Amino acid sequence: MNYLLQPYNYDLSDPASIPNLFLDHLYLVGITMLISLIIALPLGILVARRPRLYLLVITIADLLYTVPALALIAILITITGLSLATAIIPLVIYTQLVLIRNTATAINGIDPLLLEVGKAMGMNPRQVLLRVALPQALPTIIAGVRIATVTTIGIAALAYLAGQSGLGDLIFKNIATTDFDAVVAGGILIALLAVVADLLLLAVQTVLNRGRTSVSLA
Amino acid sequence: MAKISFHAITKQYPGTSRPAVDAVSFDVAEGSTCMLVGTSGSGKTTLLRMVNRLIEPTSGEIVIDGKNVLQENPIALRRRIGYVIQQVGLFPHLTIAENVRVTAEIAGGWTKQRLDKRVDELLELVGLPPAEYRKRFPRQLSGGQQQRVGLARALATDPAIMLMDEPFGALDAITRERMQNELLRIQRDVQKTILFVSHDIQEAFKLGEQIAVLDQGKLIQLGTPVDLLAQPANDFVRKLVGGDSILRQLEYLPVIDALEQDTVASARGGDVPTFLSDATLLQAMLKLLETNAPALAVQDKDTQQQLGFITLASINREITHAHGHKTERTETAI
Ligand SMILES: Nc1ncnc2c1ncn2[C@@H]1O[C@H](COP(=O)(O)OP(=O)(O)OP(=O)(O)O)[C@@H](O)[C@H]1O
Ligand SMILES: [Mg+2]
Repeated sequence: MNYLLQPYNYDLSDPASIPNLFLDHLYLVGITMLISLIIALPLGILVARRPRLYLLVITIADLLYTVPALALIAILITITGLSLATAIIPLVIYTQLVLIRNTATAINGIDPLLLEVGKAMGMNPRQVLLRVALPQALPTIIAGVRIATVTTIGIAALAYLAGQSGLGDLIFKNIATTDFDAVVAGGILIALLAVVADLLLLAVQTVLNRGRTSVSLA
Repeated sequence: MAKISFHAITKQYPGTSRPAVDAVSFDVAEGSTCMLVGTSGSGKTTLLRMVNRLIEPTSGEIVIDGKNVLQENPIALRRRIGYVIQQVGLFPHLTIAENVRVTAEIAGGWTKQRLDKRVDELLELVGLPPAEYRKRFPRQLSGGQQQRVGLARALATDPAIMLMDEPFGALDAITRERMQNELLRIQRDVQKTILFVSHDIQEAFKLGEQIAVLDQGKLIQLGTPVDLLAQPANDFVRKLVGGDSILRQLEYLPVIDALEQDTVASARGGDVPTFLSDATLLQAMLKLLETNAPALAVQDKDTQQQLGFITLASINREITHAHGHKTERTETAI
């Protein structure tokens, strides 16, 4: 625990200090989730209600998901070098399965009767989307975002291997020098970030899910 | 003046061999209730949904307030028309109060205070105490309670026209009757023009000034309950309205249908109970049995002029006559 308690590890002018690594880690996770959603949301909407296309896309996402992250980074380094891209691409690939699947499930779960009720009371297409379709679909989509975010926070430690700084630095840099205090600090911080993100997104999910059955904590 | 006019309205769904609604023409008077009855698949829902353009007709036109609905903006049109369906379709993520006010919010032009007050009034009206139900969610309500919220929601904007597709279908007999009475009361107060699909002929007779009988997409007969009982257009209508049911005839046919002039009573000279001409045969029969009088004298309800007499024998003659030769004594339910 010593590492976490030393004031000089919080020196903001040092790029390797805990706060700076923490922010770098958040940045990696943030960029990953942004790109992931930009790809997965339209794809999920596209394959919803199209069973054959859904099967194809999900199978591909599933195959990619099974490639070990380490292997992927190793291959990518030969193509994109030690770069942000090499760090982000595997992370994005890992989020796709759960994001696409949940988005498609969410869209499929919209009750056509309710869309029609909205239309029958004189909603325009925008109102039907915002007042009827999205409120129904969002809880399931956010459930996927929650899983994807927590997973990404964990795997983002590997960004160190692509030369990108983040909380993974604490683990990988100090394993070589057997400074296990720092390694443990890295582990604790990553776990803490994951738990906080999970609880925050759970709160969002619960708010969005109002009026329906309670959200599972799992 | 006709509020809604159907002119040879026809709908043929793609890939079907015959139209679901076939050249139907009739008028619904402003402030009246017209019931649509017919067997399953006869086109009632299709006809109803063409009024607010959830379904576009294949040919023909529907005119509301003198304007062809096909030339109106469908969104503006729907905001002026209340729509209630058996499946209700409350939004699960909104509270009961939010569900009721959503129609008014969409239509616009309501202040928050007026809306809050309106929501409470409406919940009260449909028998759901606002203090208890306002903040609940639909899944915390029974099916029948949800149906009442559905009615409140459609009434929120106080639309001049209401389309109701088996709105009381999921209610128990007692609640159903309460809602029917509620609707009759609303009708007396605010006079909406209502098109109401029902599978319950009792309900149709109770609520409808006019009843439109559909069969295989065609309008078979349009008339008052008494018209349908007294002069059914064909066997189908007679069966549908329960024309074979003696009780139903007694309940709806007026005493003037069973008048006779020369009776023992007339010979006796007037010491028999009098009845007004708009009473039903059933009321007359009960009175005869109760008083043990040989006859009732019937007076015109406006002029008080004596029209004739009614006896158990004349009632019996009228019923057997309306029956034709058959004496099937079954209630027909559809
Ligand atoms: N979308 C559709 N596509 C094709 N056919 C349809 C469609 N909707 C209804 N139909 C057909 O049109 C006919 C009339 O249907 P409609 O729903 O209007 O009947 P209904 O009188 O309301 O019946 P019910 O009393 O069972 O509700 C039926 O034969 C039905 O199968
Ligand atoms: Mg129907």
